[in-house]
Amino acid sequence: MRKVSLLLVVAMVLALVPTVSISAQGGNTFVFGEFGNAVQLDPAVVTDGISFRVTVQGCEALLFYDGSTTNPVPGLAKSWTVSDDGLVWAFQLEEGVMFHDGTPFNAEAVKWNFDRWRLTSHPQHFAESVFEYYDYMWNGFDEGSLIQSVEATGEYEVTITLAEPYGSMLNTLAMPMFAIASPAAVEAAGAAYGTPEVGYSCTGPYKFVEWISDDHITLERNAEYWGEIPGNVDTIIYRIIPDAAARFAALQSGEIDAFEGPNVEDLDAIDAADDLFIQMRGPLNVMYLAFSYRVKEFRDPLVRQAIAMALNRQEIVDAFYPPGAVVATTMIPPSLWGFNPDVPAFEYDPEGAKALLAEAGYPDGLSEVTVLPVDENNMVIEDAAGEVIPLTLYFQPVQRPYNPDGEGIGEAMVSYLADIGLEAQLGSVGDWSAYLDARSNGELNGLYQLGWTGDNGDPDNFLGYFFGAGPKPAEGYYYNQEVHDLLMQARSMTAQAEREPIYQQVDAIMHDEVGRIYVAHTGVPLAFRSRVSGYVTNPLGTEHFKFVSVE
Amino acid sequence: MATYLARRLIEAVPVIVGVSILVFLLLHLIPGDPALAILGERATEENVAVIRERLGLNKPLYEQYFIWVGNMIQGDLGNTVRGNIPVANEISSRFPATIELSLSALTIAVLVGVPMGILSGIRRNSLIDTASMFIALFGVSIPIFVLGLLLIYIVGVELHWLPFVSRLSSSVQLERVTGLHTVDAIIAGDWTALKDALNHLILPAVTLATVPMAVIARITRSSMLEVLNQDYIRTARAKGLRSYVVVIRHAFRNAMLPIVTIIGLQLGTLLSGAVLTETIYSWPGVGKWLFDSIIARDYPIVQSMTLIIAMIYIVVNMVVDVLYAVIDPRIRY
Repeated sequence: MRKVSLLLVVAMVLALVPTVSISAQGGNTFVFGEFGNAVQLDPAVVTDGISFRVTVQGCEALLFYDGSTTNPVPGLAKSWTVSDDGLVWAFQLEEGVMFHDGTPFNAEAVKWNFDRWRLTSHPQHFAESVFEYYDYMWNGFDEGSLIQSVEATGEYEVTITLAEPYGSMLNTLAMPMFAIASPAAVEAAGAAYGTPEVGYSCTGPYKFVEWISDDHITLERNAEYWGEIPGNVDTIIYRIIPDAAARFAALQSGEIDAFEGPNVEDLDAIDAADDLFIQMRGPLNVMYLAFSYRVKEFRDPLVRQAIAMALNRQEIVDAFYPPGAVVATTMIPPSLWGFNPDVPAFEYDPEGAKALLAEAGYPDGLSEVTVLPVDENNMVIEDAAGEVIPLTLYFQPVQRPYNPDGEGIGEAMVSYLADIGLEAQLGSVGDWSAYLDARSNGELNGLYQLGWTGDNGDPDNFLGYFFGAGPKPAEGYYYNQEVHDLLMQARSMTAQAEREPIYQQVDAIMHDEVGRIYVAHTGVPLAFRSRVSGYVTNPLGTEHFKFVSVE
Repeated sequence: MATYLARRLIEAVPVIVGVSILVFLLLHLIPGDPALAILGERATEENVAVIRERLGLNKPLYEQYFIWVGNMIQGDLGNTVRGNIPVANEISSRFPATIELSLSALTIAVLVGVPMGILSGIRRNSLIDTASMFIALFGVSIPIFVLGLLLIYIVGVELHWLPFVSRLSSSVQLERVTGLHTVDAIIAGDWTALKDALNHLILPAVTLATVPMAVIARITRSSMLEVLNQDYIRTARAKGLRSYVVVIRHAFRNAMLPIVTIIGLQLGTLLSGAVLTETIYSWPGVGKWLFDSIIARDYPIVQSMTLIIAMIYIVVNMVVDVLYAVIDPRIRY
């Protein structure tokens, strides 16, 4: 019996003996810890930040964003002119630039890319792919698109003709999804272009090497790069580490050099560590609480203002948001041009809010509200009878960069409202897609949380997108003719200096009428090992690693 | 035996058809539009239409089902909705990672769990028994992410003994043959890579092994206890056989049927992916991928993976049944 025991114990010990060794990273390799897998490396057909963070290292657009701002500056286009009517734009291109596959970059290649995005009949406008951002930024495809034609008007000159003036033109052209790909590479790979087997082929400082799904993506320095690479990184590796705690541990142990968005509770540890540091990225987002204007009571500005004054937004930001977040006063975040610094915040004032409610005719508060019908133009029919429903505040069912905890924030908001006599229920309509569905159909009849992360760093992308068209179910049937007209006017102008005051004016109007309650803008912390230097953050999030050096 | 296996395979067909219908219905009956789930805040009408067209959502449900089954039979698993990447490529990239991790974890679980169970069984109520059963209880009770993070911090960050991210170090290059890094390293004769791959396997495999190890140990113990009380054990002892012969040849062999059953079941579970372990150790397997795909409503991935998992269970169960006959000569098919 003893022998048996001994044998078994040996077996158990053998099974548990570890072999000890660890290999270190060396050389000029920059390892970035990524929180998920990239969707696709053809920037024209994706929308996720993870994919763009990879593609921007290799795929360049006609314009770049300047440093830490959202101001557009020359990229593959070194200069441009625009006609007086704002419709015809001529871009002079950099000469002597080669794609990664060795084919030349020229006006024909630029035209080919624009045609591919725009024309649904183009052989490389793959039916399987959704050219989501093109559709969304340029108002549709084919004849419906803002871009009417793109012509090579010289070996290195491209002329883009628009259907109507488009104020955000330059900001939009700098977006990572409008990067110029090698036509030969896309034609050769077909719909597999951008998948793990193929990767991308463009003009940028880093070439695609390898992508193992959910594991890593490797890029290498482009020795033939036409521009300057200020940093010293030869190899970029994106390590996919989905768990936040494991990402932090990997940074501590040196398996990665940097990652985005450390947990709030880890920030102090990073500050305290000698070999780690934090850099903040300015906010490009907003979290808001929207009114459904079908709710009869919310059509009274006094009620809206009472709600704005009832919410202690500073407390919400302190309790739920990471460091770097600020209380929002306007739709446009402070890091963007067009921001209006003179719009005051609604001070937290429950007594004042109660008084406003009483003035509006609700001295005892509200627990039920009346929902009015809408006509075929989505205009609310004010004098209809309507339907009485419980007062509801809908919370966002998923975490977003601008909303770390929809339910928690929702509970806090409901309790603030209760303090002034508004007995709101916390409402939920299922998962994220169900929530978006209900929002687009205008079914969130009450108050509802949502937010926005900017796309191109242009104020039109904040105000114009939401309030530029007529009353939309998705925006709670909000409508203000003056706001609409101003936004349409600003969109049609091309000079940034003339457009800026208009956006400031719109945010001021929407503040005065309490069109919507803005809650927070969230910046994003990035964590680094101290061997990393030169990292330039940008509110748009798609930062260029060509500036990075490692020791 | 051959007729038996053939019959089992034929019986598997309705199971797979049933699973496929169930999965299909469940996916399509969840409220919410998958096109919106995919497009998010920026959904435009045109893009919603493109996605719906691609997923065939405009057709009647039964038609969608038959189109899908038809494609599956021709070996076309479709492309992922997000990214338009062939699902078959994604599976062949991820499945080896899951297989390697599952088999390692199961090996640890068996090598530790079975001896532990036998020891507890033959030394019932001794210190060893108490200690083993305490470990087993600990194994099933401790949340995987607690254990995983604990190991990461102690073994990975503080002691710097073992890596805890992914399957290979960035500095190691390995040509892909089977996708199982340990096997590929042996094929290439690259001992550095083999060591690196094994090092990367240890922490996730140990973490993942805890639950099956505990289950196996407990089943082994109770099965041993039952057998050890049988008359033929007393007879064997009375004949004067040496104790390890009695334990291993007489008792353990007879106690093996339930143990093999439970190992088979554990293998099926492990092969369908380990969401938590894969997440904590950045292991690029199928578990977390499937989980994310369900959330993202990536139908082609979910449908293909569910069918594959159903088939794994069917095959594992068949293997277990065959093993019964090997272990117990009285069983004949």
